[in-house]
Amino acid sequence: MATSRLRRTGVAAVALLVATALVGGCGSGADDGDSAGALDAPGAEVLDSADGTTTVEFWHAMKGANATAVDKLVADFNARSGGKVEVKPVFQGSYDETIAKYKASVQQKNTPALIQVYDIGSRFMVDSRQVVPMHRFIEKDAFDTAEIEPNIASYYSVEGKLWSMPFNSSTPLLYLNKEAFERARLDPTKPPKTLAEIGELAKRLTVKDGSGKTTQYGFGAAIYGWLLEQLLATDGKEYCDNGNGRDKLATKVQFDQATGVQVAQWWADLVRNGYATNTGRKTDDAQAAFKAGTVAMHLESTSVLRGYVDAAKGRFTVLTAPYPKVTDASAGGPIIGGASLWINGVGHSDAEKRGAWEFVKFASGAAQQAQWHTGTGYVPINPKALEEQIDKDWVAQYPQFRTAVDQLHALPPSVASAGCLLGVMPQARKAAEDGLEAAIVGAKPAEQALKDAAASVQPEIDSYNKSVG
Amino acid sequence: MVFALFIFWPLARTFYLSTHGNDIFGAPSTYVGLDHYTEMLSGEFGEVLATTALFTLVSVLPAIVGALVVVLLLEARLRGVRVLRTAFALPFAFSVATASVVFAVIYNPAIGIANGLLGAVGIDRVDWLTDPSIALPAVGLATVWMNLGYNVLVLSAGVAAIPPEVVEAARLDGATGWRLATGITIPLLSPQLFFLVVVSTIHALQSFGQIHILTKGGPDDATTTLVYSIYERAFAFGSSDFGGASAQAVVLLAIMLICTAVQFGILERRVHYR
Repeated sequence: MATSRLRRTGVAAVALLVATALVGGCGSGADDGDSAGALDAPGAEVLDSADGTTTVEFWHAMKGANATAVDKLVADFNARSGGKVEVKPVFQGSYDETIAKYKASVQQKNTPALIQVYDIGSRFMVDSRQVVPMHRFIEKDAFDTAEIEPNIASYYSVEGKLWSMPFNSSTPLLYLNKEAFERARLDPTKPPKTLAEIGELAKRLTVKDGSGKTTQYGFGAAIYGWLLEQLLATDGKEYCDNGNGRDKLATKVQFDQATGVQVAQWWADLVRNGYATNTGRKTDDAQAAFKAGTVAMHLESTSVLRGYVDAAKGRFTVLTAPYPKVTDASAGGPIIGGASLWINGVGHSDAEKRGAWEFVKFASGAAQQAQWHTGTGYVPINPKALEEQIDKDWVAQYPQFRTAVDQLHALPPSVASAGCLLGVMPQARKAAEDGLEAAIVGAKPAEQALKDAAASVQPEIDSYNKSVG
Repeated sequence: MVFALFIFWPLARTFYLSTHGNDIFGAPSTYVGLDHYTEMLSGEFGEVLATTALFTLVSVLPAIVGALVVVLLLEARLRGVRVLRTAFALPFAFSVATASVVFAVIYNPAIGIANGLLGAVGIDRVDWLTDPSIALPAVGLATVWMNLGYNVLVLSAGVAAIPPEVVEAARLDGATGWRLATGITIPLLSPQLFFLVVVSTIHALQSFGQIHILTKGGPDDATTTLVYSIYERAFAFGSSDFGGASAQAVVLLAIMLICTAVQFGILERRVHYR
C-alpha cells in the first residue's frame, strides 16, 4: 500500500514536471498572428453601432491629490459621453507596480484597454506589440497636433511618430526656501544657475547651532536617477547610445561619461563637507526635509509644487527656479518626465479601442488640462490650457507655477532633451542610483562608482535587445 | 492532492523557471541550463550572502538573549510584573508592516525622534538608514523589537512549566540569582531556546517587509538580503527576470535546509528534554 502510494506520488510529480514544460512552451510563443487587425485604429462609427455601454478599463498610478484629479476627469467624461462609453479608473500602485501588473496581464491575455505608463516604460510598451500607436488615431480623425506641446510629444515619439498620448508631464525644478536665503543675507531673486553656484551658496546656507550640530543644510535632494538624467540633458549629453535610442535600439547606457562623474563628484563633495544632507533614495524623505525647513535648496519635480506650497504655508515661502545646469557652458535643457496614456489593441474590441481614444482626446482638451495643471502641478500638455481663465487666475496667485512652463518653452528641442528610450530604462535608472549612492556615501570614487553601475546593467540591455530584436 | 498542488507544483515550477530565460513580459523563453546558477558565482552574489548571514546574526541572537534576560528578570517577582510581562509581549501584536512604518518614522532623517533624542543630549545626528555601515544594524534592531514579544511569550511559557519543586529544591541548596538561572532555569528552558533558534533563523532568512519599507535594500546594497535580491530580480524596477530570481530562490531553499539540519545536528544534542 505504502509503496504504491509512493509510486503514485512519483508519477504525479513527473506528470507535473512534464505539464510545466508543456505549458511554459506554449506560453512563450509570440502571437503576432492576430495582431495585424488588432492594432488598427477604428473610426467613430464603431461606437454608434455598438450595443449599450462600452466599458473602458483604465489603469493608473496616481494617488493623493493627483488621484482626485483623475477621478474628476473620468467623472466629467462619463457624464458627457451620454451612456455610450464608461471609463472605469483602477489604481494599480506605483508606476513600477503598474507595469509589473501589466506584464502579468499580457501573459494572461487580460490587459486593460487604457493604461498610464511612466516615461521610462515607453520603449517596453512599443516592443510589447500590444498597443495601437496613437498616431493612427490622430491620422484617422485628422486630430490637430498643435494641441500637444511639441517638446512633450518628442519624448513619446519613435521615428517622429507619436505612440502614446502624454498625460501628466513634469519638468524638474530648483526649489528654494526664501526665508533661509534672507537670513543668510542672500538675494532669493537671484537663484544659482549652475552646480558650482549651488555648491558655493550651500556653504553659506548651512547653519550650525552652538554645539556644532547642523540645523539647516544648504542643499538636499533624493538620490533619484531621474535627477541625473535631467542634469545630463541640460548639459546636452545623451544618456544612451544610438541617438538616445531613437535611431535604433540603444545598446548601452552612457551615464558614466565625464558629465555624470562630475555630478556624482559634486554631490559627494557637498555631503562630505557637511553642506548637503543625504536622506537616501526615498523621494518622500528628501521632500520631508525640505518641507521641514531643514534644507535650503532642493531638486524635485514640478509635480510636488502644490504639496510644498500647502505644507510651507505660514512657515516659509517656497520659491522655484529653473533647473540648474552642470556648467556655464551647458546649452541643453531638461527632459519632460511623467507618464503617458497607451491604448491596448490586442484582445480588445473596436468599440473599446475607440472609447479609450475618445477619453484620451477629452483628457487632452484645453479646459481639462487647465484643471489638471492647477490641481496637480503637472505641466499642461495642451498649450491652450494656459489661456483658460482658471489657469490664469491660479498662476497669478502662485507665480511659482509659471517657472516650469517657462522652462518648457525655453527648451531647445534636441536629442538629449528627448530622453533615452531604452527597454530596460527602469533598471538603468536603478543602476545609476546605485552608482550615485556609492559615490555619495564614499564607498567608491565617483568615476569607478558610475562605471561599475553602467556595466552592471549591460547584461539586462543585451538580453532585452536579444528578445525583441 | 492539495499538498501536491500547493507545495510540489510551485516547487517544480521554480526549478523549471530557474533553468529558463525570460521574454520581455517575464514568460519563460529558451532553456539556458545552469546559466543562472553559474552567474551567481560572481562577486556580487557573495555580498548578498554575507549580508544575509549578518542580518540573520544581528536579528536572531539579540532577540533571543534579550528575551531570556527579560524573562529571568521577570522571575524576580517584582510588583506589577504582570503589566511588565504584557508590555514586553506587546510587540507580538504588531504586524511587520505596522512596526516598520513606525520605525521608518523614528529613523526619519528630517523629522525622526531618534535623532531628536540624540540631539537633546547633545549628540550629533546619525544617518540611521542612509549610512551603509549603520543601516543593517538599524534594520536588525527594528527586527529584534518585532521578534522580542514572541520570544518573551515562548520563554515565559517555558518558565511557567518548570516544576516549582525543582526550583524550591535548588533554593534550599542555596542557589539564587545567577546561580539559579544558569544551573536550573536556562537548562530547563533549552527546548524552548532551541525552538526559537530554529524558527527565528528561518524567519530572519525570509525577512522582507521591514527591509522593503525601511531601506529597499540600500544604501549601496547594504541591506540587500537574499529574499530582497529575489524580489528585486523578479518584480522591482520593471524587471521581470523570473529565471534568475527562481535560481536564487532554489539557493535560499538549500541554505534553509542546511541551516536547519546543522542546528538539529549540533544544538539539539545539548537540549535537555524533560
